[in-house]
Amino acid sequence: MGGKVTCTLGEVKQRADFIIYWGGNPAECHPRHFTKYTIMQKSKFLPRGRKDRTMVLVDIRETKSAKAADIFLQVRPGKDFELITILRALIKDQPVRDEDIAETGLDRAAVEDLVRRMKGAKFGCMFFGMGLSMTRGKHMNSAALLTLAAEMNAFTKFVAMPMRGHGNVTGADVIMRWQTGYPFGISFNRGYPRYNPGEFSTVDVLVRGDCDAAFIIGADPGATMPQPAIDHLARIPTIVLDPHITHTSRLARVHITTAPQGISAPGTAYRMDELPMPLSPALKSPYPTDEEVVRRINEAIAKKPFWLPDGGPSPHQWTSQVNL
Amino acid sequence: MIRITGGKIYDPAQGIDGQVRDLCIDDTGKIVETVSGGRIIDATGMVIFPGGVDVHTHVAGGAINFARAMTPEDHRRTQAFIRTKTRRSGLGGMAPTTFATGYLYAGMGFTTVNEAAVPVLSARHTHEELADIPIIDKASLTLMANNEILLEQLEQGEYERAKQVLSWYLWAAKSYGVKAVNPGGVKAWKYGHDAKALDTPIDGYHRLTPGQIVTNLARICDDLGLPHPVHLHCNNLGAPGNITTTLDTLARLEGHRAHIAHSQYHAYGGDGWDTMCSETTVLAEYFNSHPNLTTDAGVVLFGDTVTITADGPWQHLLYKLTGRKWGNLDVENETGCGIVPYTYRPSNVVNAVQWAAGLELLLMIRDPWQVFLSTDHPNGGCFWRYPEIIQMLMSAEFRRECLKKLPDRVKSRIKLPELDREYTLLEIATAMSAGPARALGLTHKGHLGVGADADVVVYEEQVDIQQMFSHPRYVIKAGEVVLEDGDIREAPQGKEFLVRPAMDPATNDFIRPLFEDCYTMKFEHYPVELERIEHPDLRDCQPPATS
Repeated sequence: MGGKVTCTLGEVKQRADFIIYWGGNPAECHPRHFTKYTIMQKSKFLPRGRKDRTMVLVDIRETKSAKAADIFLQVRPGKDFELITILRALIKDQPVRDEDIAETGLDRAAVEDLVRRMKGAKFGCMFFGMGLSMTRGKHMNSAALLTLAAEMNAFTKFVAMPMRGHGNVTGADVIMRWQTGYPFGISFNRGYPRYNPGEFSTVDVLVRGDCDAAFIIGADPGATMPQPAIDHLARIPTIVLDPHITHTSRLARVHITTAPQGISAPGTAYRMDELPMPLSPALKSPYPTDEEVVRRINEAIAKKPFWLPDGGPSPHQWTSQVNL
Repeated sequence: MIRITGGKIYDPAQGIDGQVRDLCIDDTGKIVETVSGGRIIDATGMVIFPGGVDVHTHVAGGAINFARAMTPEDHRRTQAFIRTKTRRSGLGGMAPTTFATGYLYAGMGFTTVNEAAVPVLSARHTHEELADIPIIDKASLTLMANNEILLEQLEQGEYERAKQVLSWYLWAAKSYGVKAVNPGGVKAWKYGHDAKALDTPIDGYHRLTPGQIVTNLARICDDLGLPHPVHLHCNNLGAPGNITTTLDTLARLEGHRAHIAHSQYHAYGGDGWDTMCSETTVLAEYFNSHPNLTTDAGVVLFGDTVTITADGPWQHLLYKLTGRKWGNLDVENETGCGIVPYTYRPSNVVNAVQWAAGLELLLMIRDPWQVFLSTDHPNGGCFWRYPEIIQMLMSAEFRRECLKKLPDRVKSRIKLPELDREYTLLEIATAMSAGPARALGLTHKGHLGVGADADVVVYEEQVDIQQMFSHPRYVIKAGEVVLEDGDIREAPQGKEFLVRPAMDPATNDFIRPLFEDCYTMKFEHYPVELERIEHPDLRDCQPPATS
């Protein structure tokens, strides 16, 4: 189990005749998703657009997105993993007991209908939101759904994609990966990147009180993190780069106002399918961009003596190679 | 200014085979006749090569970055690069991080690499990654053999139009040349199919076949006067019996230049995994009688790695065979991408055949100007393991030792035990530097003549060949000593090579409506701006006068 079978959004626009949204509410959270990419578009392969596509919504409650769906499946809260596992069994014609299906809040007819439709699709796509990835089971739910998508390829073309949001979080992921090998939760305290979500994630480092300074760009942890993490941010020198006054900037020692990305600062943002999009700002800003501020801080640091005592390499810089 | 004295120079382009000469480098980073003053490096008893050139590798972009995400377990056990005053931190391993990639390549004397598979849609990302690979110079190739707008022109027999469309795409990607991966097959994979026969119309088309894509792309690259010919990953990669497809493909390239990528993966006989065997003899013979072709071996080395390719259907098969993690990314209108971690084992007969086949091609293709060192990094093994291959090429005795580890039932399926050839140092310099530089059309790379880029590597001559090539004594990049006594001393920024092919200005208006029909971004935002490339080295291409 593992990996990710996915595509860019243009493939969905062009080919997906069967779309499942699972644990997400795009009508309210990604309002352009239906019209630009998934269900409304006509294409060479789906000339009648919406009529050529089937959309299924799986969620614990009937959100606004249910109106756009052909089929709404209301799963019992916390039973997503069970439902995905049942689907994985049924696509392979393995027996599943009625009571196990009933536990998910659905009946056999609905689940078997879903399996039939999935297998009958020419190109299926599953989008999953935080209702799947951040509820009971968390990353296990995501892994199960990604595995279901991979296994569906034994029958027809199938892909899956997380419904990411929060500005350019995908871009941060992509760049951290090419520079360090890891997407987030990285510690440099041994001089090279190490990864352990739950230990090195920002919230964990703050709650333990491990860091003695914080430098925050384009995020507002003061609004979302648990109180002990916020308390620590207030205790240490916290520097915030943000166009706006935020919960975090209010508790920071320093707030540098920067130009907002995409509105008055150029750059690149990565879409949820990891495609890079150039930003062309419409307005000018009297404030510097994040990039310029960071560059000037770097230049100032470069003028100071190097942090290692002799300015030279440390004695253990080339650690021994593990034989493969 | 630098003068390197007393070293034995191996410069295949000039036919210098180990003669002791001085080598002089001026302040602009070029090789010159003579210099007065400056640093003198005493290379007495040492061996001097032009800096290595990797003709086919995957070091930057969406695919390798996908592979990095999928292999955290390898990052933790691998070589760590600790930050120093001149170096940034990073990780080595199967899919090294960008900074580490530069240090690792330069650390074994390679100074130019070619990233061999870039979708135009994510070219912006690839260039940003390439800018984060220090020291070495870089080029990148654009995936074109499954681009639906281009294929539509070929389907309609509009050759001229296809040529213009391809030029437009190359310039939009800020690319150095054309890569073709499983022509038509990746397009068919969009609906879960493949393209295995060269003369069967591709899924979704009435007339267009993979064979026609191959011939047309080769012709377009020649007609545009691109410095590097079409760089072809043939159909049917990795499958037993695929030698038939490969030979059939090569036959369609008659009269054109072409580079065949990782040919080891295309040189198998047999009709199933149980009977798979090496058919490198016929493939090598074909290359020996066709000087219009070059290839890189795509050697397989035993151990863990991660396979990454635009060949989506093959990766689905590999996932089914191994049951390991599977990453897949279909890229709208253009191409696909698949990732599967893989372990090559000597006890596995298929893997053993693959291991032997790569070496066989390097040993049986007679002209080292035609066959180059590669592992199709990271597919057959990681690039930092090249010195292992060099040792096997230079020592038949060492190969015999390695062969002892293979199961007996492999022996009848491979040719390697019969091969006694041993590469000379001059031949190694050809296969790892001069040859690939010439195939890439990089006239100022891969040699040490006056006017060449001063990319020089100095090795201490040793009996242990692997040790010798793993740890050069000095590496000089563009006239700067970047590595000395086993340590990276400087990490300057390298260049990126780009071509600007001739193009009908009306092409933009022709493509716009087709683009808007199938893509999901703004037309104006699609081409990568030249200003986004750090240190571009731009070459305008003109069609050759004879055509």
